[in-house]
Amino acid sequence: MDPAEVEFLAEKEIVKIIPNFSLDKIYLIGGDLGPFNPGLPVQVPVWLALNLKQRQKCRILPPQWMDVDKLEEVREMERKEDSFTPPPSPYYMELTKLLLNHASDNIPKADEIRTLVKDIWDTRIAKLRLSADSFISQQEAHAKLDNLTLMEINTTRSFLLGSLNCMFKLRSNMQPGTSAGKAPDY
Amino acid sequence: MSDALSEDGSEQNDSQEDVMTPVELIAKLEEAWLNEKFSPDLLENKSEVVECVMEQLNHMEDNLQRVSKGDMKASVHRMEIDRIRFVLSSYLRSRLQKIEKFFPHVLEKEKSRADGDPSYLSPEEYAFAREYLANTETYLKAIALRHMPPNLQAVDMMKAVPEPCLDSFVFLRVKERQDNIMVEPETDDQREYVVDLDVGSQHLMRYRTIAPLVSTGAVQLI
Repeated sequence: MDPAEVEFLAEKEIVKIIPNFSLDKIYLIGGDLGPFNPGLPVQVPVWLALNLKQRQKCRILPPQWMDVDKLEEVREMERKEDSFTPPPSPYYMELTKLLLNHASDNIPKADEIRTLVKDIWDTRIAKLRLSADSFISQQEAHAKLDNLTLMEINTTRSFLLGSLNCMFKLRSNMQPGTSAGKAPDY
Repeated sequence: MSDALSEDGSEQNDSQEDVMTPVELIAKLEEAWLNEKFSPDLLENKSEVVECVMEQLNHMEDNLQRVSKGDMKASVHRMEIDRIRFVLSSYLRSRLQKIEKFFPHVLEKEKSRADGDPSYLSPEEYAFAREYLANTETYLKAIALRHMPPNLQAVDMMKAVPEPCLDSFVFLRVKERQDNIMVEPETDDQREYVVDLDVGSQHLMRYRTIAPLVSTGAVQLI
């Protein structure tokens, strides 16, 4: 999957905006939005929020988790624990990138947040690399990865799944008679 | 103008037996899209979902034609239509890629299924698969086979084209709790063991074990 497609999924998350225009309720196929009144917060999906922000029609409010103190706590916990801690949001990386690129003026301490999220990401990816390594070397058949976000999974997806499938083919070709009549897919 | 857009957007699609709200429909389309993208095998054909989504999109497009351009609402609706159209095209494209990759096996599976089972191919996909098979055979014959000695001129497509590898590993998220899913060992010294799948948990395992769960919708490939 492309990182762009993961971002596409992340854009469905709901975020609060403060519009500077008024519009009555919109009935989208995917749900109802609005009504929009200037100065009153309203909840919209990120794809719409970014589009309105680019047209200078709204102000985006940072999500609850996008706060320096909260992210510092998450970073400390992540560094302490060996296993994965619950992420600030299932799409924390994509939302940080999108919101900080397009709406950094609406988010207090944007640079610090960027650094904190990058630290959290680096720690988690390092852990992911270690656990993928031990998964392959111990030839496990199953892994539970509850607290991983889609972006992290997607980063290792092609390499990890490709190598696991390759190893499986090598192993099954070594054992006589396991794949009778099946032509291996090179 | 706002009436034209609002009344049709909130209308329920009740031309099918099980009434689905548009929200549920779009969620189902996205689930089908992700499942099709990540599964090594061609999944069941979700033609009712595809047709309903096409209806909704065409409906919305028609309404937008009637409304004046440059309107705020129209642009929001148009953005949403583009997003849904992307998911739909990507879904259909994944299916076509798999059909092209595994065409003899797909046709064989379709031929050998019982009458009551849901079909794997829509009528258009079936026609596409058959044409692809015919074209490939004609091509191979014209390019190489007719120059071979007479007893070597046949090609068994089922053997020539690799089968989908159902033992590939996939990532999945659990939607309905499952108990006692067998995990087969990788090496000879390991024993097989069972795992329970809790709702909301994410796992990495072989596709073969959980393939039936994907068809019933108990797990979602991610």
